[in-house]
Amino acid sequence: MPEATLRTLSDPGRAGPVSRLSRLAPVHWLALAFLAVALGFAAVAWATGNGFYLRLATEALIFAGLAMSVDLLLGYTGLLSLGQALYFGLGAYVSALVLRDVAPSFWLAMAAALLAGGVAGLIGGVIANRVKGVYFALITFGLAQVAAKTVYNTRALGASDGLIGIPQISIGFGPLSLDTADPLSFFLLVLALTVAAYAGLAYLMDAPFGRTLAAIRANEKRVPFLGFNAWRYKLAVYVLAACVAALAGALYPMLRGFVSPELMFFETSGNAVITVIVGGVGTLVGPVVGSLLLTALRSVVGSWTEHHLIVVGVIFMLSVIFLRKGLVGALLARLGRRTGQGRTTP
Amino acid sequence: MTKTTLLGTAALVLLGLGGVASAADPIRIGVVTPLSGTYAPIGQQVRWGLELATKEVNAAGGILGRQVELLFEDEEANPAVATQKAEKLFQVNKVDFLTGTVNSGSTLAVGQLAERNGRLIATTVSFSDAITTDKCSPNVFRVNARAGQQSAALAEWLAKDKPKAKVYYLGPDYEMGRSTVAAFKQAAEKTGAQSTGEVFAPLGSKDYSQYFGQLRAARPSVLYTSTAGNDTVRLLTQMSEYGLLRNLTIVGASGTVTAQNIGAIGKAADGFVTGVGYSAELATPENQAFVAAFRKAYDTAPDLYGADSYGLIGFFKAAVEKAGSTDTDPLRKAMEGLSWSTPQGTKTMRAGDHQAIQDMYAVRIAADGSGNRFDVVGTVPGDAAIGSDQCTRF
Repeated sequence: MPEATLRTLSDPGRAGPVSRLSRLAPVHWLALAFLAVALGFAAVAWATGNGFYLRLATEALIFAGLAMSVDLLLGYTGLLSLGQALYFGLGAYVSALVLRDVAPSFWLAMAAALLAGGVAGLIGGVIANRVKGVYFALITFGLAQVAAKTVYNTRALGASDGLIGIPQISIGFGPLSLDTADPLSFFLLVLALTVAAYAGLAYLMDAPFGRTLAAIRANEKRVPFLGFNAWRYKLAVYVLAACVAALAGALYPMLRGFVSPELMFFETSGNAVITVIVGGVGTLVGPVVGSLLLTALRSVVGSWTEHHLIVVGVIFMLSVIFLRKGLVGALLARLGRRTGQGRTTP
Repeated sequence: MTKTTLLGTAALVLLGLGGVASAADPIRIGVVTPLSGTYAPIGQQVRWGLELATKEVNAAGGILGRQVELLFEDEEANPAVATQKAEKLFQVNKVDFLTGTVNSGSTLAVGQLAERNGRLIATTVSFSDAITTDKCSPNVFRVNARAGQQSAALAEWLAKDKPKAKVYYLGPDYEMGRSTVAAFKQAAEKTGAQSTGEVFAPLGSKDYSQYFGQLRAARPSVLYTSTAGNDTVRLLTQMSEYGLLRNLTIVGASGTVTAQNIGAIGKAADGFVTGVGYSAELATPENQAFVAAFRKAYDTAPDLYGADSYGLIGFFKAAVEKAGSTDTDPLRKAMEGLSWSTPQGTKTMRAGDHQAIQDMYAVRIAADGSGNRFDVVGTVPGDAAIGSDQCTRF
């Protein structure tokens, strides 16, 4: 079995599921610690009746989903996407249209966004994966610009004004239901989805699929000699990333009640890349931490001064210079154990 | 004096002090406006206009004895940022009123947020017709003139100055450019103008001469354009080089020639006419006093956005004094139908769609080497420019 060989080669210390369960990697401990902090935050915010901070944190988690999808490509496969906002915006528009015009159903909106993200990701992936390196980055950037400009000029999609009037909905889970208008319940839902996405993607990245992606990142030319079709794996992870971004985007209109073409602009894609780099490339939990930190920072600094972009820029540069592996990478190194996994190095 | 009356007096004094203390709490107005990026110059005018008016109101004793405080947030001209900042102002800073949004997408999204928070907002800049027509909201007011008023004013002037003009249209090829041309075309045809043709050039076109053949063949007496920024610079200077400006009146949207690009256009801008709600050259004493105070404070002349934002504080003050409080429902009722005075003359807030009615002006640019002036060449009464109330939501 080539997969098993590859896995054993790349990570001889971790042979099977038993050891994975008994010895959680430090990065997962960090994720659990993060979850505990998030729940503590929710309890405090709820007790003090502070809806604004809950909704701000919800928005940060939604953009963390976008950042995770960038991390799948950048951190695990070594592909820099400068147009991931295309799929985020697509998910947001599809979800908005479904909620407003078809039915106020959470599950229908998520399913439609997933389908749209998958199809668009397949098309975009076939186009973008024809090239490598900086050309890949440019193609993804161009695709997103084309889509953003098209939406910007399409009157049926609200053109430059975007769409407003997306209803606040109630989401049914069998006998239970929760309301997106309630800051606490929607925060907990988005937190649960983020944790589920993290767990699912982290598992997948530990599975042979993820190992193959790591091999592509390390040396793409050698991958065919091990019996794998690199192009197929790159397309698969591209589609996967598009689906994750689309699902994250689908949550946005439920929170804010509108969508606008700015969600597809380069600013959104660029912010996601910055988030991943500041948080920690190739860790999956890094993008989440980065998104929460940067969102909080922008909100606080933005109220003090209109020169907040300089502050974010300086932090980005400092973290590139001094924290080569991002915040989470630096934390893991400090924790000291098992940092030789290679996964935290871009 | 008995003990009880003493206690009673003390209690009364304390109560009185308590009452005074709460009445002296400032009235907070949130301002979500672009302070960075492309739209920063507009946000700057909004800020100056609001700050100047607030300083004057506070110096004269505030509103209902309360001082007015402005809280600024940078919206980066992005609706996603604007809603987040507006929510902070509503829920954390507990502002009584909110204004400042520039691009129409931000105004619409923040308007919906205001509805969900039970608060009122006003825009002083956005001119998309949708805000007070099909996407109108009971919680959103607009104190500036919308696009329809601008084109109606220009069409009125055109009908009077050049009856039955033959008009050619040249717009930038994107949604806003096309809808601006369509709106003016409709208004101009209604007042008797003849359309001779139209063409749309891509945004950021370098060479407009390829359209000049069509333009000449149509033999128009008037050219309408809705280009903006550097596109206008290239269009007008190239037309000037080709000698097309002779015997042709150029008219356009209010954003086509502005203080930002007029320097680069130079003499080619001379004679350009547009319909707007304000010019610093208005000869009324109120306006001259406003311009002098604005120049003294900020060392530059106010533009349309500065003047409309300055006027907003007067609108808010009049409405709060009429309602006797800053609570949403009485304040909304007080704002509907309210008439108040501004440097631009008296404005009236139409109750049916929350759109301000105001006199509109046809403004001609004089670029004759002695500096640029925006001369008022015609006034269109507010009722003639406003158009029908198309808001059906309230």
